[in-house]
Amino acid sequence: MKTETAPEAPAVPPAADPRPPARVLPVWANPRLGLLIVIAALVVLFSSLTPAFLDPRLTLAPLQADISVYVVVGLAQLAVLSLGHMNMAVGRMAALSTFAMGLAYDRLGVPLLVGLLLGLAVGAGIGALAGLLIAKTGVNSFVVTLALDFGLLGLVTILYTWATGGVSFAVQPSGLAALRFDTFADYCMGEVCGPRIPLVVPIAVAAALGVGLLFRHARLGREILMTGSNTVAAELSGIPTHRRVVTAHALSGLLAALAGFLLAANNGAFSANIGESFLLPSFLAPVLGGTLLAGGAVSVLGTALGATLTQVIYKGLNLLQFSLEELKLYIGLVLLAALSLDRLRAVLAERRAVSPS
Amino acid sequence: MIRTNEFTLAVIAALGFAALAVATDFNLLTAGTLDAFLRFLALPIVIGLAQMVVLAVGQMNLSVGVLTGFCAVASGWLMIDAGLPAPVAVLAALALGAVVGLVNGLLVIFTRINGFIVTLATMTILEGLRYGVNGTGTYQGYSPGLREFGQASLAGVPVVFLLAVAIAVGVALFFRRTVPGRHLLASGGNPFAARLSGISNDRALVLAHTLSGLLAGFAAVIVVAAFGSVNASIGDDLLLPSFAAPIIGGVALAGGMISVTGTVLAAFLVRLVDVSQSQFDINRRWVDLIIGAVVLGAVLLGQFRDKLSGGPR
Repeated sequence: MKTETAPEAPAVPPAADPRPPARVLPVWANPRLGLLIVIAALVVLFSSLTPAFLDPRLTLAPLQADISVYVVVGLAQLAVLSLGHMNMAVGRMAALSTFAMGLAYDRLGVPLLVGLLLGLAVGAGIGALAGLLIAKTGVNSFVVTLALDFGLLGLVTILYTWATGGVSFAVQPSGLAALRFDTFADYCMGEVCGPRIPLVVPIAVAAALGVGLLFRHARLGREILMTGSNTVAAELSGIPTHRRVVTAHALSGLLAALAGFLLAANNGAFSANIGESFLLPSFLAPVLGGTLLAGGAVSVLGTALGATLTQVIYKGLNLLQFSLEELKLYIGLVLLAALSLDRLRAVLAERRAVSPS
Repeated sequence: MIRTNEFTLAVIAALGFAALAVATDFNLLTAGTLDAFLRFLALPIVIGLAQMVVLAVGQMNLSVGVLTGFCAVASGWLMIDAGLPAPVAVLAALALGAVVGLVNGLLVIFTRINGFIVTLATMTILEGLRYGVNGTGTYQGYSPGLREFGQASLAGVPVVFLLAVAIAVGVALFFRRTVPGRHLLASGGNPFAARLSGISNDRALVLAHTLSGLLAGFAAVIVVAAFGSVNASIGDDLLLPSFAAPIIGGVALAGGMISVTGTVLAAFLVRLVDVSQSQFDINRRWVDLIIGAVVLGAVLLGQFRDKLSGGPR
């Protein structure tokens, strides 16, 4: 279950904060560690309550596929949270991009990879448009993306009606079914050498690694974080802040498109409702993982853990026959509790760190 | 600048209304159509104001739509399942809204977490609670008096619309004339300066969130009275309009600047788009597209005008 998060560990060690660490906080003050413990405790709890939770085929494989989608959704939001911006249109950007993919498969009959790249380009394009509007006009990102979301909501439905006469494409590009149903175990002598990990997982892991490396080691990523941390200082240091805003939003659109593709692969259909459920989880994952709304600092590993936690809760409560609406109640309570604890931990850690020095 | 913005909106609203009246062969001005136009304008006005009062202190309330639905369903439960009289249910809906708003505010000041995230969490919780009251069931056939109130007209104007206007006047007076109202604006405009002048920013935050909840409670009462039935889906489509009205109306997201007239006029404009959709049988989805474009256009126009008049805000 931890397999998809473990490989990213080297990408973003806890010290992802770009500001020089004035005081070293104690280990227990690390929100990532807390998340890991909570996830482990919940897995133990759920599997003792219902043994079906550990069923590799019926529970664990779909769970990993779900986590993959929502890790990428969280990363899409994280890309703009790095600036201190928000992307309220993250779901609808995914919807528009998957429409482009579906259209390409349906009308042009392109291979799976070409359609994916096309959709990613559409996502990056619409994200860049949002970034351009924000950078050029200086209007709050919340307003721009909210309006964009409203507009795209209409546009996507109109486009689906125009292209399919309904709400989804009937086309099934070759390879999509494999992404949906197969695990590594299907390709190598049962479970001898391949674990039961769905094929979508490595895509999400690659995305997380890429984003992690970008923000940790690439000049571009550091410049985006600088812009988010202090725009004026960044501008004075010669960073083209406007261009970095556009880049970050384009990245957000691109990741939203990728998340849309993964969800379409999991569902087995390119349909208009893709992305409808993205908004809340997109904030949940990074915020639980310790990324601030203020900008300037991100945690990719935390986002992956945050997404894992939410999906584990969903899956576990779902197996225990909770209804979707009840799930929402508990997810909301968990979010509040986690954030309050985080706050408490931060305050205690500050006190502990201040006193010896 | 606020003046010109409201003036522009008023001109656009008047022109739009006249154009729509002409385009529908004056069908819009017949008693029935005009009545429905104003009756369903009440909810967007109040929900826009509920968002505006938290924007005044630089906060957001994502839970406002779902809270409206929760209060509406709860008052339905009180009347049908608990058998309480309508006035009690109405007061309970208002109190419930105010209490949830108070909780939002207290969470914001005690946890120091961004209000956006806090209300995102409470929105999720309220969605669960809203469903928990009656599942997928619908409450209808409650208090005839309350439903008559929802359908009643005074001199040809729906009473619920008059109620919404009265609420708007109340909110405007609160911000213009009362000390707590001025404190809210001062705190939203410059928290540091407000603190130095002896204003408690925490109190301002809690008060703004409580007021927002109370207004959501009023919106719930309007829904219960005017719609004649309530279920767990009420409020789902209110979140975006709640932001659209104040933002088109020229309210600054950063806080400290509000415009009740602008919010009301913007709600009127959104309703105009809505009505033209039903009059001309346009795909419902075009409306979303148009409103999205209008919000963006309004913001860009405001920015452009600021640049012309020189200097940053």
